[in-house]
Order: sequence, then structure tokens, then C-alpha cells
Amino acid sequence: MKAKLFSGFPLTHDAQMSLLSCKDIRFQYPGTKTPLFDGLTITIDRPGFHALFGPSGIGKTTLAKIISGDIAGFSKQVKASGKGPCLYTYNQERLPGWSSVGRHVEQSTPEGRESLRDHLIHGFGLSNLLGMRFSQLSMGQCNRVNLLRYLLQDFRLLIMDESLANVDEPTREIIIYQIKSTFPKAGFLYISHNVVEVARFCDQIIVLRGRHKNPRTRLIVGQNHQKSQPLDKGALEASMLEIMNAA
Amino acid sequence: MLHRRIYQFFIVYFLGIGLLFGIKLVLGLSDYVIPGPSNLWNTATAEWYRYLGDVLNTFTVAVVGQVLSIIIALTVGVVGRKATWFGSFIKVAAYNVQAYPIVAIAPILFILLGDGYLTRLFIAAMICYFPLLLSVIGIMGEPVADIEHFYRITGRLRWQLEVKIRAFENLYKLTTVISGSATLAMAGTIVAEFIAANAGIGYSIRIALYQSDLSKILVALFMIGITLSFYQGVLEMLGTSLKKSWAGK
Repeated sequence: MKAKLFSGFPLTHDAQMSLLSCKDIRFQYPGTKTPLFDGLTITIDRPGFHALFGPSGIGKTTLAKIISGDIAGFSKQVKASGKGPCLYTYNQERLPGWSSVGRHVEQSTPEGRESLRDHLIHGFGLSNLLGMRFSQLSMGQCNRVNLLRYLLQDFRLLIMDESLANVDEPTREIIIYQIKSTFPKAGFLYISHNVVEVARFCDQIIVLRGRHKNPRTRLIVGQNHQKSQPLDKGALEASMLEIMNAA
Repeated sequence: MLHRRIYQFFIVYFLGIGLLFGIKLVLGLSDYVIPGPSNLWNTATAEWYRYLGDVLNTFTVAVVGQVLSIIIALTVGVVGRKATWFGSFIKVAAYNVQAYPIVAIAPILFILLGDGYLTRLFIAAMICYFPLLLSVIGIMGEPVADIEHFYRITGRLRWQLEVKIRAFENLYKLTTVISGSATLAMAGTIVAEFIAANAGIGYSIRIALYQSDLSKILVALFMIGITLSFYQGVLEMLGTSLKKSWAGK
């Protein structure tokens, strides 16, 4: 199947405004003594495939939920360019079990996106799973199906929280290349603990650091590798080292 | 499933009868206090047909009462699932209705509505409604975040879909509670008949009590138990086939 660019999506980047800007975010979970974020500021200046990286428990998911609005009350501090919502998807989401995966994907496809749906189904290797119920899929297959239905929606920024967990490495690579080539003007924030993957595929990597570190975040430039390009292994290693040092 | 329910009932019933005969034997009680096997058999052959009619009469009221209570509990549960002012009001009102035991207010119902069908139906429905309501409110008030998240953030989560997701995810609990509430509906109807009604197996038990005829009561209990076991077995079978057809398992 011939790959198509979906540049006509209402996700076009406004050159006057950064893709994502979070200013002075203060957040504390009820019942805790110290704030998780105290004046956190991050900026991503262009669309593309970006990452949020950091050790477990540092607040990546909380920050993702603040950006997407799943944790409410931060609309003044969080700004994003483009039309449509910021969507947040995570790796434990499920589809209802009363009908097949194909039926659910069909029902959640907005009008006019049928060709995109078929293109992604083929690219994500899901063609043979459409007749199955969600509960019959493996964890990796579940995550691929879940990610697919989000990619069909309108969004200005899609936050993928471990969305490709349990997917084998070659398939993950294919999917990331496909997302990058199909949505060249969209914004993605990929949350992963895989430093190689993040350094290789992502354009900008926001490293969220421990509470005692100042500044709390560091922006690292990744290799933003495209399928057609040769991979500079030296530069990749440098990016990985920079990420590890920053964390 | 159905046959399991029935043979379980037979085991429990005949164990109970055996215990009574054992007590009679050990304590040397007369047939007036605990009837002997032949006395019980004679009563059963003489009364079973009349009692079958009475049990079916009670059963009809219980089934209608149970259906009513399921409808009321589902409606209140669905309306009261939200943490809004109206949702809280509905929940509080529903709970307050049960502040008094229904048996305690049953005499008022009999005075106001008489001792006919409507009063029995009302009491049966009220007795089995509250456990159903607690389960339904618990199920409908608990978001299934892993499924609902996508529909919520893409603006697709209508109340019908929300209810469908929560019902589907708790299908086992719901079918178990509905099946279990059949016992309560039957018990509620019998209690109503025992208090003041003029028909049904509860009314026949009251007459047998006034006659101090334990064998009639034991025959009536057998008829009640076998009918209820059959009904619960059928409900469980329906629940299983519903789960199979809906969940594809």
C-alpha cells in the first residue's frame, strides 16, 4: 500500500507560536509533603516527534496529564499551537469487549479518514486481528490497536505514554517511522524509558530530572532519524550519553 | 446449572427433614409436634396441587416485583451515578426510602391499599430493590477509566455508552445480583402474604400455622424451594447465555 502524507490534517503548525509551552507549573498531590513540580517550565518550539524522558516516578505521566488537561486547572500555564485537542494515550487502555476490534476501529474513525485508517492498519500489522475481540489480543497488539484509534482523531499534540510497550523492537521501529512519515506536521510527545529509541527517533527530548536538580528539565536534541536517512552511530551515541547525563 | 440448583435444593431440604425426624426420634416427640414420614407423605399427596397453585400465585407476584425493582434500581443507579447535586439527591432519597424496614411499614400499606395483589407486589419489589440498588449504584458510579478515557477525551462518551461500558465490565456481578434478588423477591412476597394477604403460599403457611400443622408447612416449604431453585437456575442460564452472546466468550 502506498504511504500517504496527511498534511491536510487540522494540525498545521503556527509558525508564530511554539508547539507546546508550559510555564511555571506548580503541582502537588494531596497528602504529600513536597510539590512534584514547583515552577516547571518547558517549551517545544516546532512540531515533530519529541520525547519526554526520565526515571520512573519523576512525574512524566502527571506532566502529560497536565498538558492534555486530564488533570484540570492548568489552562493558563499550558499553551499549544494548532487546532484540536491535546490527546493523551497510555498503554493500559482497553477497547470494550462487546464487538470486534475492527468494528470498534471503524466506529471511532471520523468521516473522511477511512483511507488513513486502512493505511495505518496495514502499516501497524493489524489486518489479521480485526475480527478478534480486544481480550483475545496480546498486550503488544492491544497497544497497537489503541494507538491506531488515537492517530485517527483530530489532535494538535498526541502524548504517547508508553504506547508501544510490549511491542517487539522491529515492529516498534516500523510504527514510529510510519507515524513520522504519515504525520510530518503533527506534534507528538513520546514517553519511553528506552534511551536508544528516544535518542534515535525523537527530534527534541525533554529530560525530566529529580527534584533536587536545577533546572528540573533539560532539552536534548535527538537524531530524529527518518527511514530513508543513513544513521550516524556516533551522533546517536552522543545523544544517548547526553540524555543519560542529563537524567 | 439448572440441575445443579435443583439437586442442591434436594440435598438441603432432605437434610433438614432428616434433622427434624432425628430430633423427633431422640426426644420422643409426638406427631402433633413433628409429623412422621407417613403423615408428611399423606399431607404432601393431599395438598401438593393446591400448594402448587399457591406457590405459582406467589411466584408470579415475586417475578413482577423483581422486574419492577430491577427497573427502579437501574433507573436510580443510572440517574444517581454522577457526583452532581441531582445525583446525590437521588441517592439520598433512594437510601432514605429504606430507612425503615419494609416489614415495619407493611401494615400501613395493607391499610391504605388493602390485602390484594398490589400490596404484595409493592412489598416484594421494595424488599428486593435495595440490595439491587446498592449493587447498581456501586457499578454505575465506578468509572472504567481504561476504557472510558478514549471516549471521554474525544467527546464520544454519551451517558448511554458510559452505562453500557460499566454494565458490560460488571456483567458477572450484575447477573449474580439479579439472580440472587429472586430469593429476596420471593421472600418479600411470602412475608407480605404472611402478614395480611388473602392469597399465595404465605397465606397458606399462615393458616397452617394457626392449625399447628407442621407437615403442611414442610410441604409448602418444599414447593417454595423447588420453584425458587428452578427460577434461579433459569436466571443463571440466561445470564450465562447473555454473557456468551455479548462478550463473545
